[in-house]
Amino acid sequence: MKQKRLTALLLGIVMTASLLAGCGGSASETSGNDSAKSESKTEAAASSDESADAGSTEEKTSYSEDEIADFTMFVTMPGSEINDDNEIAQMIAEKWGVRIKETWLTGQTAAEATGTLIASDEYPDYIDSDEMGLLYDAGALIPLDEYIDQYPEFKEKWFTEEEWEKFRQPDGHIYWINPFGNTKGEPTATTHNDEAFWIQARVLEWAGYPEIKTMDDYFKVIEDYITANPTMDDGTPNIAYTILCEDWRYFCLENAGQFLGGYPNDGSVIVDKSSMTIKDYNTSEDTVKYFKKLNEEYQKGFVDPESFTQTYDEYIAKLSTGRVLGMVDQWWDFAYTVNDVFKQQGLDAKGCNYVPLGLTTEAGMENRWHTYDDTVNQASGIGITVDCEDPERAFKFIVDCAMDQELHDLRFWGVKDVDYSVDDAGLFYRTDEQRMNWSDTAYQASHRCQYSYLPQWGGTSDDGINANKPEEQPSEFQNDMAQPLKDCFAAYGADNYVDMIGSVIEDNGPWFPMYSFSNNFTTETPGGVAWAKMGEIKHEYLPKVVMAKDFDAGWDEYMEAYNACKPEDFLSEMQAILDTFK
Amino acid sequence: MKKRKTSLADKIFVVFNTLFMIAFVVITLYPVLNTLAISFNDGIDAVRGGIYLWPRKFTLKNYITVLSKENMMRGAYITVMRTIIGTVLSLVANALLAFVVSRKRFIFKSQLSLFWVITMYVNGGLIPVFMLYKNLHLTGTFWVYVVPGAVSAFNMLVLRTYMQGLPDSLEESAQLDGAGYWTIFSRIISPLCKPVYATVALFVAVGQWNSWFDAMLYNRMKTEYTTLQYELMKLLSSVMQQSGSAANASAAGANSAAVTPITVRSAATIATMLPIICLYPFLQRYFVTGLTIGGVKE
Amino acid sequence: MEQGVVKVKKDKKITWKEVKRQKFLLVVSFFMVVYGIIFYYWPLTGWLMAFQNYKPKDGLLGSKFVGLAKFKFLFEDVTFLRVIRNTFCMGVLNLVTCTFMAILFAILLNEIRSTKAKKTVQTISYLPHFLSWIIVTGILHDALSSSGIINELLMKFGFIDTSIDFFAHKEYFWPIVAFANVWKETGWNAIIYLAAITSIDPCLYEAASIDGAGRWAKIKYITLPGIKPTIMILLLMNVGNVLNAGFEVQYLLGNGLIKSVSDTIDIYVLTWGISQNDFSLGTAAGIFKSVVSIALILIANSVAKRMGEERLF
Repeated sequence: MKQKRLTALLLGIVMTASLLAGCGGSASETSGNDSAKSESKTEAAASSDESADAGSTEEKTSYSEDEIADFTMFVTMPGSEINDDNEIAQMIAEKWGVRIKETWLTGQTAAEATGTLIASDEYPDYIDSDEMGLLYDAGALIPLDEYIDQYPEFKEKWFTEEEWEKFRQPDGHIYWINPFGNTKGEPTATTHNDEAFWIQARVLEWAGYPEIKTMDDYFKVIEDYITANPTMDDGTPNIAYTILCEDWRYFCLENAGQFLGGYPNDGSVIVDKSSMTIKDYNTSEDTVKYFKKLNEEYQKGFVDPESFTQTYDEYIAKLSTGRVLGMVDQWWDFAYTVNDVFKQQGLDAKGCNYVPLGLTTEAGMENRWHTYDDTVNQASGIGITVDCEDPERAFKFIVDCAMDQELHDLRFWGVKDVDYSVDDAGLFYRTDEQRMNWSDTAYQASHRCQYSYLPQWGGTSDDGINANKPEEQPSEFQNDMAQPLKDCFAAYGADNYVDMIGSVIEDNGPWFPMYSFSNNFTTETPGGVAWAKMGEIKHEYLPKVVMAKDFDAGWDEYMEAYNACKPEDFLSEMQAILDTFK
Repeated sequence: MKKRKTSLADKIFVVFNTLFMIAFVVITLYPVLNTLAISFNDGIDAVRGGIYLWPRKFTLKNYITVLSKENMMRGAYITVMRTIIGTVLSLVANALLAFVVSRKRFIFKSQLSLFWVITMYVNGGLIPVFMLYKNLHLTGTFWVYVVPGAVSAFNMLVLRTYMQGLPDSLEESAQLDGAGYWTIFSRIISPLCKPVYATVALFVAVGQWNSWFDAMLYNRMKTEYTTLQYELMKLLSSVMQQSGSAANASAAGANSAAVTPITVRSAATIATMLPIICLYPFLQRYFVTGLTIGGVKE
Repeated sequence: MEQGVVKVKKDKKITWKEVKRQKFLLVVSFFMVVYGIIFYYWPLTGWLMAFQNYKPKDGLLGSKFVGLAKFKFLFEDVTFLRVIRNTFCMGVLNLVTCTFMAILFAILLNEIRSTKAKKTVQTISYLPHFLSWIIVTGILHDALSSSGIINELLMKFGFIDTSIDFFAHKEYFWPIVAFANVWKETGWNAIIYLAAITSIDPCLYEAASIDGAGRWAKIKYITLPGIKPTIMILLLMNVGNVLNAGFEVQYLLGNGLIKSVSDTIDIYVLTWGISQNDFSLGTAAGIFKSVVSIALILIANSVAKRMGEERLF
């Protein structure tokens, strides 16, 4: 009994972390999608704005306490619980007639929690799970098609026809809707919420903002800087380059090869678009070169010797002191916490902030580090269960969340003049006090109500000025930037992080990202077994490759273990999936 | 105890013992003091690490966050109730069972012991247990906290060992006086078992006090049966979610004292540790100062 | 066990009179057995899962039967054999060090004359039990890192010239895990032994003192024999737990470089079962652990019996 609890508790810790981020990809959906949208869709969204507004004004505009529908919702993700008497939730309830009690994943995996729900045969009204397939199999969800058809604007704006098709289950119905990954109006992304080689602005400034295109350039500037400046102002020794390698976060070590080769973040494999074939980035020439360079730097003593044993907390602490000059990581994995500390310690003014570099194996190649496309994950989303007594109203609220700008602003910006102010030009902004309140845990519980797993938009709002998500508001972004960062961006002719990394803008194939398929692999197929084994072997051997006295010998040893996992099984199954898109 | 002249060996022993205890106290106290220091430290600042025995940037914010969590009082009430009821129930049940299997003449003592010993090493898994509780209508009630774990082989064996150590003559003489087994249990054995009862009570109480997984699993939707530790787990989960999210980015100004998982975890740990530490002295006297088994000799 | 039953039956004739006399014991036993069957044995129907490809939608009765496929998967994987070794070795090491330290601490604490000091030390000693593993391992990891206090001390006193990265070397991992367990749980584990010490008749000590016995002699001839039954019972119980060497500590302290010694059965199950929605594999591993545990217990118990020591049943 005790053992079981312990296990589950730990799972909680593990999962809190891993579910936040998925395998390096899904976080881009959860933490506010900052991506541009394909042209056609943006236009479609803009053109039908008026009709949507007209539609929602006909609706009933106030509900008394008796008329409010109380729904329950379970999300198989860790999240922030709000109080029962949450103020914005109450305002939403009075205006739109629905109040939702959200419960979040605590101490279990999504699969376990979903499994228990199915076993108990008692469901909340709404459910949002990464395991919607399990719920569909168990007959826990109601088909949404007829409801979707009742709201043509919603149907048109929310997904394209092909996207809706992706959600259609074998029985021909749609049971859930992914609430993330849609952009309205103009794309407003300012941050590069993806992976990159990061470098501190002070290093670039010291070197006179050189062009950095390859790993050789990158390490050269870092080496030069640290040789000239072995310590920080306060005497703390600088660290040239560190690698986070803890548990699932070892992506910071393992997958740079795919980007260096100029491929986008398919995660588990690379796709050769011209021949429509799957390739293994683990054995690609780019990857070998990448590790050879890392090995060389390690032998020269520029790679932090604690790299492979440090924990995530230790890594963040190290970054927070401002002494680490560069590393590979995903923005969401370090930036929010580390930037807060920089600001508090005044390190942002010293140029400690990190800027992304779009490195490639050879100079002049196109880079695809940044994901512009909205990635719609068809495996997850929000559904209505068979236990919901008023699915009609439950669905209408989903539509309201997506289509009603006022509701959207209330959820993400808060109450006007309380949580944000509006200037003469109609631009929303927050004062320092408002910002502080908004980020206060207690205030969030009592006041803020995001319903963060109901439909939401990136991009600009219907007024055409403001961003749908405050963190994407360009003026807020500008105000927040420290001088060295502004200088750095200016020197490279960039306005923001996205310009800085300079990835090519192009549409990804409909299969993108391939990791959304490999994430669902199980040990029931040889490919799934191989996939899991490959992960284990890489995690164990890649640090050894970097540390090896003789790189070639180390690499050969790794390859021997790697090939024993039968990666070909995995690749052929991935190829079969890709073939369905031919 | 009579005062006696101590030999050289004894003196050396005392010196070494004292040194050992001092070292032990220093080593075991450190993590607690470190947690205490972090719990009083500013959240953002604590991310940098390097806090040892004293907070670097003092704040009460972490405790305010923990204590102002909604449902905390209700959770505390349920936790106190489950600790009290669960401990009493468990103590009575385990003591009875231990009494039965420690009777030397009991015909099934070996089989009954084996029956319980096995339960320590087998486990049906989450879903069958869940289904069972659901069918017994325990889910969604308070009783799911105290009924399922009431008898545990571990506690039973601890009690049994102690009871077996008591002289047989106690039972025999009582039986000669015509006492039944119930009387022997309640009047003769139990009063002598205070130290071990206190031990088991402490184990059960701490277990009840700290558990949250059952609340999450069986009463997730029933806020009226939420427990303190479950509320804290949810809070921690919220803070983890927030500190790594875009919505909070750029929100923490230089003068804000935002909370982070590190500091909230520490504050929650200290806050829940205190009540149980206060309970401790009441139980401790039984197993530290000892107790004389009233002059009974075999 | 079978022999035991037979022997009991041979030794004592069960007469109706005896049964009647033991009515109270039998009634309590009856309820305890019913309770045990309901809450501990009935859920074992879940073990069926290990022989199925369990899918929540089909439930326990409807899922596809796959025979021993899950067990085959486990035992054909060299990694699984390796994690068994890791789990077993760490389990034994933890058992030995934790038991030894708890007994040592309890006995030495008992030798402190001042009640106040005794109570204070004891209270402090059990506090780390309330800290979660994530806190304790965090502190330990910091202390043992290349720039941590341990390396600093070792260098200061000249034991080493350059700092050692303890978590990069396989040979340190098991001792570190054992130390972590000792650190967190010694005071807590000692409580049982302290309670056992109280049952020793103080007259024995007085008599020994009069005979001129020193402290060592008293510990050796009075305290240790006095708590021997408790030691034996706890040892026997924990022998069955060696395969439950844990999950959290290894998970939180381990890293890729030392995976081959740090992964335990539970971590394996997380990687291969739970994180892939495979409930069956975890159940199969659980059954394996149960079978080994019970086998160990039976062996240990019969050894104890042959040696005339305290035993579990």
